[in-house]
Amino acid sequence: MSQPPFGKVLIANRGEIALRVLRTCRDLGIRTVAVFSPADRGSLHVRYADEAWPLPGDAPSDSYLRQDLLLEAARESGAEAVHPGYGFLAENPDFARAVRDAGLVFVGPPPEAMEVMGDKLRSRRAMLEAGVPVVPGTTEPVATAEEALATAEEIGWPVLLKASAGGGGKGIRLVAGPDEMEGAFRTASGEAESAFGDGRMYLERFLVRPRHVEVQVMADRHGEVVHLGERECSLQRRHQKVVEECPSPVVDAETRARMGEAAVAAARAVGYESAGTVEFLWSEGEFYFLEMNTRIQVEHPITEEVWGVDLVEWMFRVAAGESVAPLVELLPRGHAIEVRLNAEDPDQGFLPSLGRITDLRLPGGPGVRVDSALYRGLEVTPYYDSMLAKLVVHGRDREQARRRMMRVLQELHVGGVETTAGMALRLLRCDAFRSGDYDTGTLERLLAEGLDCPREDGADLELAAAVAAALWRHVRGTPRRSDEEGAAGPDPWVLVHRCRELGRWPR
Amino acid sequence: MRYFLTTEDGRELEVVVEDRPDGRHRVVLGDREFVADFRDVDGLGQYALLLGRASFAVSVAADEPQAPRVHVAGESFVFRALDERERLAGEVAGRGPARGEEIQAAMPGAVVAVHAAVGDVLEANAPVVVLEAMKMQNEVRCEHGGVVAEVAVAAGDTVESGQLLVRLDPPPEDA
Repeated sequence: MSQPPFGKVLIANRGEIALRVLRTCRDLGIRTVAVFSPADRGSLHVRYADEAWPLPGDAPSDSYLRQDLLLEAARESGAEAVHPGYGFLAENPDFARAVRDAGLVFVGPPPEAMEVMGDKLRSRRAMLEAGVPVVPGTTEPVATAEEALATAEEIGWPVLLKASAGGGGKGIRLVAGPDEMEGAFRTASGEAESAFGDGRMYLERFLVRPRHVEVQVMADRHGEVVHLGERECSLQRRHQKVVEECPSPVVDAETRARMGEAAVAAARAVGYESAGTVEFLWSEGEFYFLEMNTRIQVEHPITEEVWGVDLVEWMFRVAAGESVAPLVELLPRGHAIEVRLNAEDPDQGFLPSLGRITDLRLPGGPGVRVDSALYRGLEVTPYYDSMLAKLVVHGRDREQARRRMMRVLQELHVGGVETTAGMALRLLRCDAFRSGDYDTGTLERLLAEGLDCPREDGADLELAAAVAAALWRHVRGTPRRSDEEGAAGPDPWVLVHRCRELGRWPR
Repeated sequence: MRYFLTTEDGRELEVVVEDRPDGRHRVVLGDREFVADFRDVDGLGQYALLLGRASFAVSVAADEPQAPRVHVAGESFVFRALDERERLAGEVAGRGPARGEEIQAAMPGAVVAVHAAVGDVLEANAPVVVLEAMKMQNEVRCEHGGVVAEVAVAAGDTVESGQLLVRLDPPPEDA
């Protein structure tokens, strides 16, 4: 047996990704240290860990963002390395540096690479220098509407105005022509000023029917970078990915090779190490660098299924100094799809659906993987994001994977909260998904139209549901007002009162 | 027994359920008739349903017995489900004075507008309050209508889930 890359690791995260990282640690024989907020005391990532260290509050600022407490737990537990998962502190260069300064290994990229990639303009400049194609646009921020207008004339209309310090869709405007520039600049810049304290904007060409295609890379500290193909993530709602697939239905072998080379060059240009994702916009056969995510991503399992690799394991290996050379031998096989199952109610504008998971039936069988920290009794709280599970399938081809995912969504049942499963199922039946002909605007358009895609098996589910509803009422009986104690017997408090009154157990 | 189901889009379905000596049921829905075997599998709301030989994995959840939410093969259906007696009572209530009602917030959010003032007479299904949650505005409506007895919130307030928004007294007796 080979030696595990580390003896003990602290996982500075919660929920699904903490459990995901923990599972690989256990597979490798690494001892695990979990951290938890009070609300997460009963979570699976805590229960399955070797050690668990409490954090004081439920809010992220009192728990999973407390760098001081995370480092203290790492030091006191004797962990040698810290895995940040995704979100929280995963892309925070200060945290990566603090971990390093504490004499521990940060299982992720160097803070210097995060800093370049975390800044839209710096990363764009670095990519231009490295010969990575970028969307035609500005490399320097623009401070006035007049400057923006002149620049747009060079780039070509339509253009997107984006906040230089942006994120989360704030401060973004589509400007169709010169007449719209002044108003759009004023509002977008104002939004950016109030959201980020920086009103500077940059411009780029607006692409026709763009697709979001991203390339997985893995880099070691010896300067070797390997790419593991692309993921197609265009099905989004409000910039949140909903369904992802690997490979992309529009990327052929030649384009894949070119995108892979570009992604490798991007990682090299910033001295990258560990797992990373280079995001591209794909439009009409060409691709352009968008940004690099300097972390393991939510949708990494579809790459793992197609390429037959554990990316988290390789994050640990390269963090311990191993070479990525063995990954060059890997070949992609088949097709994988991921659906993000969120506790949200699609019928109520995707409002978060909070509550207790009262009932749970998970899918299984060939080619099915469920990455989730879900259990019956879990309380879905407002403190953290609403993702309950990642449903992942692998098939020999795209259609087998699609059918498999529909089966998975039909087998699944989550009781107690509303979920996005039904919405995903309808999406998989739509022509746009079946044909693979979709772009980043497709899902929003389909949702606006009601996502009304006919069932393929012709089963009359409404009839079955109606019969079930009537039978359910029938077998439960009708509660009568005159007999409120009903089958469950009287309320225990009433019983206690009667006992007191009678001086004995009532008969 | 006869059950009256109203679908989310307002269609009414009538379902006749009769007990059979073998524990199964004879079910008639429109021109369809089935022998139904409805088996509780976990006591938590999951049922194994056979309609003849057609098999369904069904889950039923309900906050109130007259509004079951049925989940089958990845799809959800919500019905208003009344038995004969409840339907009759509902019809009588519809003709006679309605009960008062309390309108509560279904989600935490912010009150954007209040369309009711004390003393207003509201029709059934009239908009009462506009709530904003997660940047989505939702119109909260009353069910039966009545006379506004209390307005517990004002525009700009933040409300918790379940918090009282508006209380209605039964509508005045028809002259």
